[in-house]
Order: sequence, then C-alpha cells, then structure tokens
Amino acid sequence: MDILYSIYEVAWFVLIVAAGIAALEGYFYYHFKLYGKKWFMAVSAVFFPLAAVLLCRYLGLVEGGGLGRVWAWFFIAQVLINLFFKHIVKGRFSLPYMLLAPAFTGLALLLVYPFVFQIYLSFHDLKLTTIMAWKNTGRLPFAGIQQYINVFTTSPLSEITFWTLLLRTLLWTFTNVFFHVAGGFALALLLNNEIRFKGFYRTLLVIPWAMPQVVAVLAMRGEFHSQYGFINIMLGKLAAAFPALAALGFGPVQWLSDHPLATCTLINIWLGIPFMMVVILGGLQSISSSYYDAADIDGASYFQKLRYITLPLIRPVLMPAVTLGTVWTFNNINVIYLVTGQSGGTEQADILVSALYKAAFTYNRYSYSAAFAIVIFAMLFFISVFYYAPTFGRGNLGIRGSLRGKVISPSSPARG
Amino acid sequence: MDKKTIRHRRKKLVKYLLIHAVIIAVVVICVYPLLRIFSISIRPGDRVISADLSLIPSGAGIAAYLRLLQDTLFLRWLWNSLIITIATSFIGVSLASTAAYAFSRFKFPGKKTGLILLLSTQMIPAGMLILPLFLMIMKLGLMNTYLGMIIAYSVSSLPFSIWILKGYYDTIPRSLEEAALVDGTSQLGAFYRIILPLSTPALSIAFLFNFTTAWNEYLVARVVLFSSRQYTWTLGLFELQGQYITQWGMFAAGSMLVTVPVLIVFLYSSKWLISGLTLGSVKG
Amino acid sequence: MAEVRFSHVTKKFNENMILNGVSAEIKDHEFVVIVGPSGCGKTTLLRMLAGLEEITAGEIYIDNVLVNNMHPSKRQIAMVFQDYALYPHMTVEENMSFALRLMKLKSGAISARVHEAAAILQLTKLLKRMPKQLSGGQRQRVAIGRAIVRHPKVFLFDEPLSNLDAKLREEMRVEIAKLYQRLNATIIYVTHDQVEAMTLAGRIVIMNHGIIQQVGTPIEVYRKPANLFVAGFIGSPTMNFLYGRLQAEGEKLFFKNDSLTLYLPPFLLADAARNAGREAALGIRPDDVVIGPGVREDCSEKIEGILEVSELLGHRENLYIKAGENRILAAVEAFFNQSPGSKVSVGFNYRNMHVFDKKTQKRINNS
Repeated sequence: MDILYSIYEVAWFVLIVAAGIAALEGYFYYHFKLYGKKWFMAVSAVFFPLAAVLLCRYLGLVEGGGLGRVWAWFFIAQVLINLFFKHIVKGRFSLPYMLLAPAFTGLALLLVYPFVFQIYLSFHDLKLTTIMAWKNTGRLPFAGIQQYINVFTTSPLSEITFWTLLLRTLLWTFTNVFFHVAGGFALALLLNNEIRFKGFYRTLLVIPWAMPQVVAVLAMRGEFHSQYGFINIMLGKLAAAFPALAALGFGPVQWLSDHPLATCTLINIWLGIPFMMVVILGGLQSISSSYYDAADIDGASYFQKLRYITLPLIRPVLMPAVTLGTVWTFNNINVIYLVTGQSGGTEQADILVSALYKAAFTYNRYSYSAAFAIVIFAMLFFISVFYYAPTFGRGNLGIRGSLRGKVISPSSPARG
Repeated sequence: MDKKTIRHRRKKLVKYLLIHAVIIAVVVICVYPLLRIFSISIRPGDRVISADLSLIPSGAGIAAYLRLLQDTLFLRWLWNSLIITIATSFIGVSLASTAAYAFSRFKFPGKKTGLILLLSTQMIPAGMLILPLFLMIMKLGLMNTYLGMIIAYSVSSLPFSIWILKGYYDTIPRSLEEAALVDGTSQLGAFYRIILPLSTPALSIAFLFNFTTAWNEYLVARVVLFSSRQYTWTLGLFELQGQYITQWGMFAAGSMLVTVPVLIVFLYSSKWLISGLTLGSVKG
Repeated sequence: MAEVRFSHVTKKFNENMILNGVSAEIKDHEFVVIVGPSGCGKTTLLRMLAGLEEITAGEIYIDNVLVNNMHPSKRQIAMVFQDYALYPHMTVEENMSFALRLMKLKSGAISARVHEAAAILQLTKLLKRMPKQLSGGQRQRVAIGRAIVRHPKVFLFDEPLSNLDAKLREEMRVEIAKLYQRLNATIIYVTHDQVEAMTLAGRIVIMNHGIIQQVGTPIEVYRKPANLFVAGFIGSPTMNFLYGRLQAEGEKLFFKNDSLTLYLPPFLLADAARNAGREAALGIRPDDVVIGPGVREDCSEKIEGILEVSELLGHRENLYIKAGENRILAAVEAFFNQSPGSKVSVGFNYRNMHVFDKKTQKRINNS
C-alpha cells in the first residue's frame, strides 16, 4: 500500500511538472508569436498576473491581505516581459529561449526566489514566536537592520561570536585546502610513476570520496571515539609500549569533546584528498612526456622539473579545482554537523555555515540566520569576484578531451 | 656488470619499494574505516562495542543485518530515498539537457550572462538556501512529503548538469545536425534524433551526479522530514547511530548496505564524473 | 534536374563581409567547382544554397524558385559534408535511409533505393556496419550514398576529399567523375585544391575575398587567367611573375625592370603606345620557361641566370633560377645535368605569356 501510494505521489508530481512546463512553453510561444499585436499586450497584462495570483492563492502562498500587493508585482513583471519581447527579442531566438525556459524558471523559483526571500527575511523578524502568526496571516514585524547588527554583536549560538567564527572558518578553509592539495599532489606524483597495481591503488584511494558522505563521516567519527575508536586504541597501545612517551603526556585523547575542530579537520582532510588526487593525476597524465625528455637533455633535476614543467602545466587543471575546493570547504556543513551536531551541542568546532544552520534549525532564529547568510554570501561573493574570477575560463580540460573519439569524425581512424 | 650499474639498479629498486610502501600505507588509511564498519557489522550482538581491532571477529554472523531489516524501517528508508532520488534526477537531467543544448548551439542575447549566472549559483552556500526552501515547503504544506523533498532537490544539481552537458554537446560536430536538417528534420528533431542519442554517456553522467547528490543529502532531509516512516536512509542511519551507542551493530550493517552499491557505481563511473567535474569548473 | 542561380548574394558576419554580391548561374546537368583559398567564402556560399546559413542580401533560385527562406530539406538538394557527418549511432543502412524515412516513404521503396545506391558505390557488404567500423574512403562513399538515395535536384559537395590521404583522394576523384557521368546530375563542388577543380569541373568558379574572380572551363581559366589572383592560383607549379614597367621605343614595346629587359612582340600585346608606361606583371608558367642556348620560334631572347636549386621529380625537373633580381622557376625534362651555382640561359615562350596590369591586377593581353 505504501509503495502504491508513493508511486501515486510521484506520478502526480511528474504530471504537475509536465503541465507546468507545457504552460510555460505555451506562454513563451505566444509571446514570441504575438509580441507585436496591441491586443495581446493588453490581454497578457491583465490575464497572466491574474492567473499567477490565483495560482498562488490556491497553493496557499499568499493570504487574503497580500493579494493586491502580489498582483501589483506580477503586473509590473508582465509589463516588463512585454516590453522585453517588443523591443529586445522581437520574436527572434524563440527556440533557444524556449529550450532554456523550464530550467531557468526552475532555477528562478528554487534558487533566486529563495535568495530574494532570504533578503526579505533578513529585514524582518521571524522566529519561533512569530512563525505561526506569519503562517496564518503572512505578516511579519519589520526589523530594519537590527538583524544585521545582531549578527555582529550577538552570538549565533550561545557563546561564540561572529568574529571568532570567521577566523575559525578561514583557518578551517585554509588548513583543509592546503592539505587536500598537498596530499593530493603527493599521492598523484607517486601514482604517476611506472608502478604495478596502479589502477588498483587508484581505485582504493578514492574510496573516502566515493562512500556516501554520511556513512564516511559517521564511520570516521566512530574511529575517533575516546574508548573504542581505532585512534585511541592505537595511542593507548603505544603509550603502554613506550612508558617514556606516556610520561610526557602521550596517550589517548578525548577527541570529540576536547578537540572537536581538530577531529573535524582530520576527517575532512581524509575525505577531500582523493578528489584532488584524481584531478591532479588527470592533469599529470595529460602532460606529454617529451617535455620531461627535453628537460632531461637540458640536465634538469627532479625538483627543477617539478617546478618548471609540472607545476605550470597542471595549473590550468589545479586552479579551478582549488577554487571549487575552497568554496566547498568554506560551505561544508556536513562534516561539522555530523560530527558535533547532536553530542551536547559543542560550539568549539562550528564554522560560519554550520553555525548558520544551527541558528536556524536548532535555535529557530530564522530572520537572524537569514541576515547571517546574507553576510556570509556577501563575503564569499567579494572574495570570488576579486580573487577567483580571473581564473575561470583559463585552461581547458575535461570532457572535451576525454570523450573525443566517441563521435565519428573522418580524422579518427577506423577500428574495423 | 660494473659497479655503477649495480648501484643504479639498487637505487631504483629501493625507490620502487618505497613508493609502494607509502602508497600502501595511505591505501590502508583510506580503506580501514570501511573495513571496520564491515567488521563491526558482522560482530555478534553482545560484543559490538569493544576495543577489538581484528577484522573478522570471533563468532561473526549476520545477526545485525537481520535485526536491521526486521526491527527497523530500513527498507522503507531505502525506498523513500530511491523514489525521491530518481524523480529528482529525472527532472534535473531533462531540464538540463534542453537548456544545455540552447547554450551549446545558439547565439542569443543574455547567453553569456546566463552562463555566468549558472556558475555563480555554485557560490551560494548550500546552507543558505535551506531556510527559505524550508519555509516555502512549509507554506505549500509539503512538509514530510516526497514532493517537498523533490522540489527542494530538483534544481540543486541543475547548473552543474547544464555545464556537463553543454561541454559534451560542444564536442559533437555541428555538421551532424546540418546533415539532419538537409535530410529533413527540424532543429528540434535534429536534437532529439541525433544529439540526444549521441549524448547518452554525458546524460548518464549528469544523471549519476544528480543521483549521488540527492542520495547522499542529509541537511535538507533533516528539516523537511520529521516522521520516521518518511525518513531517507541518511536520516535513518544517523538516528541509529545517534546518542545511543547500542545501535552500532545495526548502523554498521545499514552503512554497508548503502555503501557497497554506491561504491561500485561510483568506481565504475569515476573517470567520467571527474572529467565532468573539472569541465564544469573550468569553462567560463 | 535543375538550374541554380545566385543573384547578388551577400553575407555579413557582424561587420565582416564574407560574400560581396556574388552572381552566378549554374546550368542543368553541370558540374561546377567553386575553388579558392580558405576564407574566400566558397563554403559559405554553398551553405547558403543548402539553407544552413542565413542570407544577408540577394537571392538564390533553384529551378527558378526563390529558396531564400526555404527549409533545407525542401530545397531538393543533397549535401556531402567535409567531415561526412555520418550519424555515429546508426548503421550505414540507417544513415542512408534516414532522409527517406523522414519523408515517410514505404519501406520497400526505401530499401530499393538504398540497395541501388549501395550497389553503385560498392557498399552492399557494409550496410550493417557502424560508421566507426569503416575506413576513411568507405565513410566517404557512405556520405555520397546518403546523398544519392534522395534523388536530389542538386548535389552539393563541401571539400569532400580533404580528409583523405593523397592516394585515396585520387581514387575518389575518379569515382566522383564516374558518378557524375552516371547520375548526370547538377553538381556544385567546393574545394581549395585546384587540381580537383581542374580535373573534375565542367566549369570552374574561382573566388577570393568573397568575390568571384573568374568563371570558365578549366582550359579557359588555365590558358587565359583573368587576373593575377587566378593566374597564381590555378596551375601547379605556380606561375612565375616578373614585375616591372612597360616602355615603348618607337613601335616596339619593352618590359623592363632593374635587371631585365624583354621585348614584347605585337601578337602578344598590340598597341604599344597605349600600354607604354604601365606598371605590369609578366606571368609565365614554369613549363613555358625555355632553358638552354638554342633558338626557338616565338621565344624571347635569352637572359642569363644562375641555377640555385634543382628538384628531380622523376620525368620532370624543377629548376630554381635567379636572374638578377628576378626569381624564375622552370620545369624541364629530366635530367638537367648542371649543378647549383652554374650559369644557365633562360628564355620565355611568347605564345603562353600573360601580361597583367599591376594596379588593376587585370589581364591586358588578349592572346
């Protein structure tokens, strides 16, 4: 019965999506076709906003009081769309726009709208005590920039301040990315030798990345358990075997309660190295060996070759991976939440994004966390614009090269 | 053989052995936690918690697996995950395939902006969107449902899928579509009859990417789903592990059951996945 | 079959003029080769005819029907692409029948047409293969077969041989020539290779910089190139050019530059007075350069040169000669027994000499 019901639910959903896409395509189709007609402009400006408001009403997104305001928004949007079609698109490019419409509408509804909504929230006051009122009436108390002031003056959790979190996040990001790249690079260099079992090693080395993250993190967390974790067992045995070390204070450590951030970092490094290794290995293998032959003839040492050939040539592969890795690490809630999330709510390991998540869903301070999120996003955005933007578009590796030859072209030799 | 050659050979052998030693050490670190889970999952129930490090414990058995399947909703969780994940991936890939085609083959105002927009969505912290999505799903009355989850997931991998597919379409010569046009298809017909069938590798990568992202997701599920019947496996496992250390055996068994299939699929497809990953970030 | 007419066809990419008012007529059953260096607009012209490229201005007619805005498949043309564009996921048979299936023909008729074309092109045994299992020449034949099955009014070939190696290219050239005799269709063939143009064409259209330079039979464009570009483009090895000024001394006309003076007889260029003072270029094909002291009819007086390099090609030999500031290539019978550095005397055959105005680039002699 359960199964039947879930299938029914999914079928229903697919139907809604299909209908939505069809409506959307129809909407654009007639705009492309009839953009010049005066009557169409008038009809569309009346009809579509009305339909949109009714839909919102039906879905429960808007309550009675807000209808007029929402209608005004839709009306303005429709007029802008009409002008766009009349003066910019003029019925051209219908095919690409109609191909893009579903995806971009989806993105707009589920990425852009939430983003804008987040901004709206950050200037109001939504918390556990106001959420029911908001749900029923759609009204929220206006808070001005109070939430933003709170972000910098009060703690998102119970004690820790924004600035400590920021410093910790930067430290966390830097440490992780550094070790990911260093570790990945070292492993890739080792694997790039002519050795036996290369493919076998490579397969086993990506396991931390390939495992579902929840399982991987929780398993690693188990290994850091104070009593039964592998690490403490080994430390205990070492201390027992070498009493001199034990005398110096060497021995089992209360990882999860005393050093949660170190634990998270170690786990995340373990998780992140395989990705970097694989990316760098791919880069290394794409370097033609003739460069090294030439360098050998010129008498370059191993490290000179590394410095003057390998590094510059894998830069186009490495830089985007590092960019991506930095953003991922900066935004990594998973590891920290899974390691520290439930065990007594320690704050010693939280970084900005995990504090954000906890502020919203453990402490239910919705508007506060919205403002918090906007601040984080602004920071990330400016860092990217000033530092990383130039690296995009440099280099050209990936699918382009690796899948070539799948498509039959006259230059590819016959195999039959 | 003169001394020099012998010394050279010995040096090479030492280097060779050293490389293997280092790699094997790292391999052990990488694989060990997985082996430990396996070992815990087959421990007899009374010795699940122990400082025992042996991989095949004495009295090994599948009791934990049986208990997991009988006493918990594990199968139901798997089913929930599967439904949500497949629906999500299906929608994600179909939306991405047409959008990517537009980006790959047409010139139109706003093309560059659109591509940059797609890239910049990768900058939005995932944690940031959870709250508004949560509120939206709440308002739509979709809390604790598949629909809520699918809506929340469906576009999360979309930008990435579009990049992967666009990159692949770009490698398909335009003359194929032109030949199809001359042969009598429309532009859309050429896409449907020529480009899509040729892109099955890229489509499967995109599908796989959508699939793994949704399959492993935890944070959204945690706020949207609250009854244990509706849990995805990630939530279910986390609950087993939770504060009650008594559940270790079942947690380990469940972990093995979800990890092994994912691992196989991932290892099989990792090469393609990686080329997609680098492509998605490289091309601007 | 069909006629094709281009009327003032123009193509602009942004501000770049690709085609600048091209007008030409192609008659029924004609084999026309459009030839020119890369970037001259020849492929663009063909693609516009096929309907794959928008026309900025001008008209294209097939059988007196304006096709400017017609869908490619409605134009009753078939095209063979430079990279063949075989659908990689279809067998040879499916590739060839794709267009027919789209026309919703009956399966019996489709199979008959496919097998007929396959028989012509010796593809019958390969029908079940996938394109990647074929060699370059076989792929080329499939691409042609895919065009044949449609029974089009006009065949369009876009550099079809440029991806083959030299030997295969010669074979396929002959195949295409045979096919033309057999099909007796209108064919428009684009290439950058003037050898293909000379060997295949009924008429050649030579293009450069988006403008038609000359239209004519292979013999016409070889014997009477209309301008310096055509003269340099057609023929291998390339024509020699000597640059200088025309001067009249009494009734006689002379060509002069710093290191050379040549008498130009009246049958080559009459009306000495009118031509005197012009900056001119003399064109002589390497085959018309006469080496050795002997005197021949219609040959210029000898000038002294130094042999720089000689290349033996088997039955012919190319001699690179420097005469003063002029560099001259002579193609003579093998074996020319002199070593580089030795002196040779060089004469030119007046009967096949071309005189061009340097400023307008146009041919000025009529013979």
